[in-house]
Amino acid sequence: MREKVLEVLERECPDVDFLASDKLVTDGIVDSLTLTSIIAALTMEFGIVIPYEEIIEANFDSVDGLTAMVERLTGA
Amino acid sequence: MSLVELRFFIFAALVVLLYYILPKKVQWLVLLTASVAFYLTYGWEMLPFLLASAVIAYFAGRKIEQFQVAFRKDTAAAKKRCKPVLLTAVALLAALLVYAKVGTAVMAAITELLHAQQLSAFPVIVALGVSYYTFSLISYLADIYRRQDKAEHDFLRLLLFTIYFPKVLQGPISRHKNLAPQLLEQHRFDYKEFCFGLQLMVWGYFKKMVIADRLAIFVNTVFGNIAGETGAHLLVALVFSAVQIYCDFSGCMDIVGGFSQILGLKLEENFDRPFFSKSAAEFWRRWHITLGTWFKDYIYMPIVISPRVIGLSKKVRDKFGVRPGKAVMTVVPLTAVWLLTGLWHGTGWTYIIWGLYWGALIICSTVFEPEIKKITKALHINTETGSWKVFQMVRTFLLFVFARMLTVPGSAYNILRVGKRLLLRFHPEGFFDGSLYALGLDRPNFLLALVCIGVLWGVSCMQEKGICVRERIAGSNIVFRWAIYYIGFFAILIFGVYGPGYDAASFIYMKF
Repeated sequence: MREKVLEVLERECPDVDFLASDKLVTDGIVDSLTLTSIIAALTMEFGIVIPYEEIIEANFDSVDGLTAMVERLTGA
Repeated sequence: MSLVELRFFIFAALVVLLYYILPKKVQWLVLLTASVAFYLTYGWEMLPFLLASAVIAYFAGRKIEQFQVAFRKDTAAAKKRCKPVLLTAVALLAALLVYAKVGTAVMAAITELLHAQQLSAFPVIVALGVSYYTFSLISYLADIYRRQDKAEHDFLRLLLFTIYFPKVLQGPISRHKNLAPQLLEQHRFDYKEFCFGLQLMVWGYFKKMVIADRLAIFVNTVFGNIAGETGAHLLVALVFSAVQIYCDFSGCMDIVGGFSQILGLKLEENFDRPFFSKSAAEFWRRWHITLGTWFKDYIYMPIVISPRVIGLSKKVRDKFGVRPGKAVMTVVPLTAVWLLTGLWHGTGWTYIIWGLYWGALIICSTVFEPEIKKITKALHINTETGSWKVFQMVRTFLLFVFARMLTVPGSAYNILRVGKRLLLRFHPEGFFDGSLYALGLDRPNFLLALVCIGVLWGVSCMQEKGICVRERIAGSNIVFRWAIYYIGFFAILIFGVYGPGYDAASFIYMKF
């Protein structure tokens, strides 16, 4: 799942190095517009609905956090 | 009672005294009593409107929490029951806000249409600070719904959060989860916090009374006689109006932030030296921060995660390609946010244009980012140089000045007249022939305004470099420290703008 999530992220935001940090939001690597792209891409790719409660830094700070969120929402 | 009149100083001193000499467990009641008294000085008839909003939020918050407890094991069922409560409460709060915003205009139109002059005997009551406390209460309810906050079980405590007097008239738009625990905590007197709070208040008064109110004289004189002014004078007035609104609003935030610091409370920051911003998007992350974050959390993000918008983006992506699909995710939420931001500032069409102007700038800079990068590269512009960064800051400031042109002249006709004079009757000699000193500010006052702006700029540069000016002053020797205090105090006393005919009560952002 992690590889798949990373592939989607890199395809959606080719300018962003998602492996550069495990504090992507805190470090400003992921801003609100990048966040928008990520949410749209993951929703389309995995057919999930990301509720507001999941829009927290811990979920978007790293590829691992994003993968865990997708797994939770897909029930994988 | 305005923040810049003697009555307020006596009132504030009395509040601080009672706050610290009475038992700590009643500190929050001192603040509640003081806040209600402060609000009543603007007229008793506004209080029922504020109370109604607080009552709505109180009962809705309790109800949402009750459903969440009752259906704690079934989140979907809890949401199903909580959502109608949330939406009803938000609709009621919004209705009270809309009534305050457009009630006067609607009433005037009805009176004129029906020739019913007797209707004018029933003026629309506009509760002061309605835009600020309504947004705070909506965020309170939304946060409970999202399980990011807990409902207040004591109505008086929620009322204190709603009416806390330093922030009720002009914000910041506080979040319940940030401010309420502080309001209810017991606070011991802290000499350092007291001094720092006082310093911040003095700095706020300097910005408001020495700079903003001085520039207001020039701006009002020029825009009071657009027909007789040259483009050069109008340009100076527009630039001054940009600095004026910053000093007025941020000065007020310093006053209320400083006073809260004296009480041991920390209000949210509302400004982060916005004139150092290098883009429109950055500017709005640093100007009126609590309004921006409110729109981001309660309008922008719900639209972004909405399956409908994502579905629309997918459809566009499938039909027209990835880039147009991604653009949908930028255009839809930002258009909604900026339309509402414009309406928040005023209900006239000029404010809608004003909102869409900022929205268009931010949307274009995002959607066309690849092209902008290509052009920058083709022109061999080194974006890392200091001169380029200064250019970006000046450009952002000028975009803000242009936006002022949409709201300051007051009507579409006046906006066109200002535009015409800027383009066709500029008369640049107006900068040098001394005529600038005949527009409300004589030469010494005009130069004093420039010097004070220079002081503000210098302090802002230091802060931008990460230097904490207040810590520096506190750490300096006693002679220098007290010299600064005296200069600050006497600068306000001597150079502050007041006197007959001066309306000290009119903070610009109070009308929202």
